[in-house]
Amino acid sequence: MEKKLEDLQILVNNLTYHYPDGTIALKGVNLNIYSGEIVGIMGKNGAGKSTLIKTFNGLLKPTTGVVYIENDEVNNVLMSKLTKKVGIVFQNPDLQLFANTVEDEIRFSLKNLNFTKIELENQISLTLEKFKLKKFQNRTPFTLSGGEKKRLAIASIMCRNPEIIVFDEPTIGQDAEGVKFIRNLIKEKHSEGKTIIIVTHDIEFAIDNIPRTILMADGLIIADGPTNKILSQDQILNIGYLISPQLIILSKFLIDLKIKVPEDVYIKENMVQFLGSYFKDKMGITEGGKP
Amino acid sequence: MEAFKFIQKKTIIHILDPRTKLLLAIIYSILAIIFEEIFILFFVFLSLFPFILAGQLFKKWIKSIRGMTFLFLLLIIFNTLFSTFSRSISMIIRIMIMVSSFSLFFLTVHPDDLMLSLLSLKVPYNIAFSFSLSFRFVPTIAIEAQNIIDAQKSRGYEMEQGGLISQARNLIPLLIPLIVCSLKRAFHIAESLDSRAFGSTKNRTYYYSIKYAKKDWLLTIILISLFIFGVIVKIFPEFLPTWFYWKLKV
Repeated sequence: MEKKLEDLQILVNNLTYHYPDGTIALKGVNLNIYSGEIVGIMGKNGAGKSTLIKTFNGLLKPTTGVVYIENDEVNNVLMSKLTKKVGIVFQNPDLQLFANTVEDEIRFSLKNLNFTKIELENQISLTLEKFKLKKFQNRTPFTLSGGEKKRLAIASIMCRNPEIIVFDEPTIGQDAEGVKFIRNLIKEKHSEGKTIIIVTHDIEFAIDNIPRTILMADGLIIADGPTNKILSQDQILNIGYLISPQLIILSKFLIDLKIKVPEDVYIKENMVQFLGSYFKDKMGITEGGKP
Repeated sequence: MEAFKFIQKKTIIHILDPRTKLLLAIIYSILAIIFEEIFILFFVFLSLFPFILAGQLFKKWIKSIRGMTFLFLLLIIFNTLFSTFSRSISMIIRIMIMVSSFSLFFLTVHPDDLMLSLLSLKVPYNIAFSFSLSFRFVPTIAIEAQNIIDAQKSRGYEMEQGGLISQARNLIPLLIPLIVCSLKRAFHIAESLDSRAFGSTKNRTYYYSIKYAKKDWLLTIILISLFIFGVIVKIFPEFLPTWFYWKLKV
């Protein structure tokens, strides 16, 4: 995709952040994120990932440097305006659920958006429907399962319809169904033209779903580029305390065996297809597995 | 809560036995309760300063006192309305003595030593352990509270809104998740303690031990003498010059 200047949605310039206790979390971060991108932020604990995303919606104010969200510099804009544009879905849903019913939980998120009563009820109903929470509508959120709570937490941000969606560790503690749900949601929001930022340690999820990755270490961005490229460079992986995804390890192994592999085999379907045709060609294996 | 969080330092106050420091906090609090005269309370308060300075705690102490400004304001308003202004001043000094002496204790006693000192006072192990555990979790809960504020703000929650009642209502989205998370953690801790056979034997041993040294005895004698002197003054007020009993006219 061609990146145009007018599509620039997040601009971070020489950003530093010092916590009140003296910890320096960001040491001069420069970053451009364009409208409609899916960007992953990776790196070991304490690298500054969470601090960085918290500057996007004004939870933290830069110590020095600037962060622009669209045309607004975060220091000069009210947080209420920023949270409308940037929705952060935090890792632990328990940190935000408090209402008597699932419905009220959504209503709380829509409180300051100047909806009329009818619009409000419509939006609540739509959100509950979309996130398969309708049947829990009048139940207390505390009796939901882990996956349902996560869905509710995500719904409570998505109902605000932010332009930029930030997920903090979306796959942690989720079963296969939960991960599938998040994967589909990301695809759907991407097709709607939203910008999606995902902070994650889950390399398999990243290689499958995130085209561009930013790797952070020690308060700095140490690599920024296509996820498959970043996750296949040993030196970068070592600094970022990451390991290669399984398919990249496999493709490197195949290359070592002097087998010519296409570039896109880090995607599961492509690898299966490649191996299928390779075995068919080389060993004469036909459909059904018999030579 | 900052005023009660242990900080590792190597000062004479830090290396004192926790029991001595507990005795100090208790005796100072009793003195603060039994006297109401501004001057006496003020001298008792002043006598805490050498400990605060020796423990290099001045900055933390100022912070804790500053944190109570609102309470002091309430004390002045209510006491002046229902009693006298003079009384409100003595109440403020009284509270400052109690808070200072206890923050001196908590700032300089490691949570593990806190448990050992409670045990040496024959407090049952279960109670001593939960007491020290609750102090250990103060910073964890503070971090969690911040995360909750961040999560709610991200969905449009505005903390500073409306009058006093709506501000109180505004706390609900913060307090409920905090309570729920704390309860959940308590259950997890209980399970993990059970899985490590907590309380399976009555007599347990301890890796560290605390010792009453010479300086502890010395301070104990000084503290007890101070206490006895205080009691004598309370019973025989004529023991002190009359200006000690001066009161504000209002």
